[in-house]
Amino acid sequence: MEHCIRLRGLTKVYGSGPSAKRAVDGIDLDVRPGEIVALLGPNGAGKTTTIDIILGFIAPTAGEVSVLGRTPRQAVADGRVSAVLQTGGLLRDLTVGETVDLIASTYPAPTPAHDVLRRAGLDGLAERKVQACSGGEQQRLRFALALLADPELLLLDEPTAAMDVEARRTFWAAMAAEADAGRTIVFATHYLQEAEDFARRTVLIAGGRIVADGLTDEIRRQSSGRTVRARVAAERVGPTTAMLDARADVRSVEVDVDVDGGGRLVVETADSDAVARLLLGELGGWDLEIEPASLEHAFVRLTSNLESAS
Amino acid sequence: MNMTYYRLELRRIRRDRVTLFFTAGLPAFFYVIFGAAPDYGDEPIRDGNVAMWVMIAMAAYGAVTATTGIGGMAAVERMQGWGRQLGLTPLPDHGFVRVKAATAMTIAAVPVVLVYAIGALTGARAPWHVWVISAAVLLVGATTFALYGLGFGLAFRSESAVSAAAGSLVILSFLGNIFVPLSGWQLAVAKFTPLYGYVGLARRSLTGGNTLDAETGELTPEPLWQLLASVGFWTLAFGLVTVALVKRGRSRQ
Repeated sequence: MEHCIRLRGLTKVYGSGPSAKRAVDGIDLDVRPGEIVALLGPNGAGKTTTIDIILGFIAPTAGEVSVLGRTPRQAVADGRVSAVLQTGGLLRDLTVGETVDLIASTYPAPTPAHDVLRRAGLDGLAERKVQACSGGEQQRLRFALALLADPELLLLDEPTAAMDVEARRTFWAAMAAEADAGRTIVFATHYLQEAEDFARRTVLIAGGRIVADGLTDEIRRQSSGRTVRARVAAERVGPTTAMLDARADVRSVEVDVDVDGGGRLVVETADSDAVARLLLGELGGWDLEIEPASLEHAFVRLTSNLESAS
Repeated sequence: MNMTYYRLELRRIRRDRVTLFFTAGLPAFFYVIFGAAPDYGDEPIRDGNVAMWVMIAMAAYGAVTATTGIGGMAAVERMQGWGRQLGLTPLPDHGFVRVKAATAMTIAAVPVVLVYAIGALTGARAPWHVWVISAAVLLVGATTFALYGLGFGLAFRSESAVSAAAGSLVILSFLGNIFVPLSGWQLAVAKFTPLYGYVGLARRSLTGGNTLDAETGELTPEPLWQLLASVGFWTLAFGLVTVALVKRGRSRQ
């Protein structure tokens, strides 16, 4: 088996006419067995739609999708792929143990219930009603349900969205154990940190397209710059801009000109310390601010890079 | 059929005491008040009596309350994400439908058995074949109202809508000649409401193909095709509405 997931020209359009929305706009993606891949993107980027197509919940408007060499529905019916979904999906009046028994009964040879409960960190909670479980516990239950099939491919859609920090840590620890056991894992998230901590490979998605696909470290470097802002006197705006622009670590310099001719510089740089020292020192700037580049900034930059390259 | 799922469905319903009361307790109570206790209960209808007539009616109300609730909750559950969870498993849609249909039939049997048992102990009288045939018709016919509940669930997408659907059966029962025996123009109008044909078929073995006019106590012949047409029409109507709602739900995705 060469590919776990293979997407070609995947497109999903909701609605029609002028109000049509292209949720997924031509995605090509190959995921090989054993990979751990983060689908990273802001809300509305098309992550959930892509996962729903891979699971066969919705059909693409155009393009091809192959999961473990078969159609998505077939892969699910064969128990080769499973998922932890974002919301809903549990019957509140059942206990944790009953929920596991129910889903287990749909498979010909499910993993034993006590085994999945232990691996999902739900020991001792089998008797508890689902409605009495915390958000984190409910999510671990969904994880336990996904393990019943012993799937080769596990998809996780924003799996830690409803969790506090501690629950998040426990969840990813459990996931790491599954990854070590050789499962292919693809998860959607809008936390850069989660991608960094857990995925070797990150696929950045924005506006329904892949804007970057590579090693997570590489992506992080590209998006880890900071923005430095400072004011400079009117007569120094020109030379300062030229000087900063010439630096290798500076990605962009923008100037907001004030009424009196003075300027507020907005500098995007990989080395904020050096730029700050320069601005406050020999360039004579004042009113300095430094802020980390948000993920949204990274998307915007990567998107514009992509467009200028093509 | 998936027996584990079926067993767990029954367990869920057993936990829901309030719904169980309205499904089984209330019809039994109504039968005792309107069928067993009054003096007219022992008035004869052919080889049976009025208590029997009331008993079948109350059991019918209980049975459709059960199936409406189960149909409605099935729709609401699926839309609240359980459908997606099941969509991750090999269980096909028709497997889900089979479990829910079996659950509905089982729960519909609860009020029928309870009310018939109380009836047998408190003076409902009819030849044995009337007991068997009426109970069978009640169980099979109640499935139509699973579609009725399903339609409510699909249209309004909430648990309270399902309760409203079950509540609406009280009105339909009055209109359908179930709670109070109707006469005159009311009886004429009743023939066009959803529960009339259902309960009429169930009572047919008792009345021998006649309807009872409450004012006069007279039995007037009623053609079988009218009752069958009523059940057929409403089943088709509920079915078409359900299909339309499912399609609307799909196109919204």
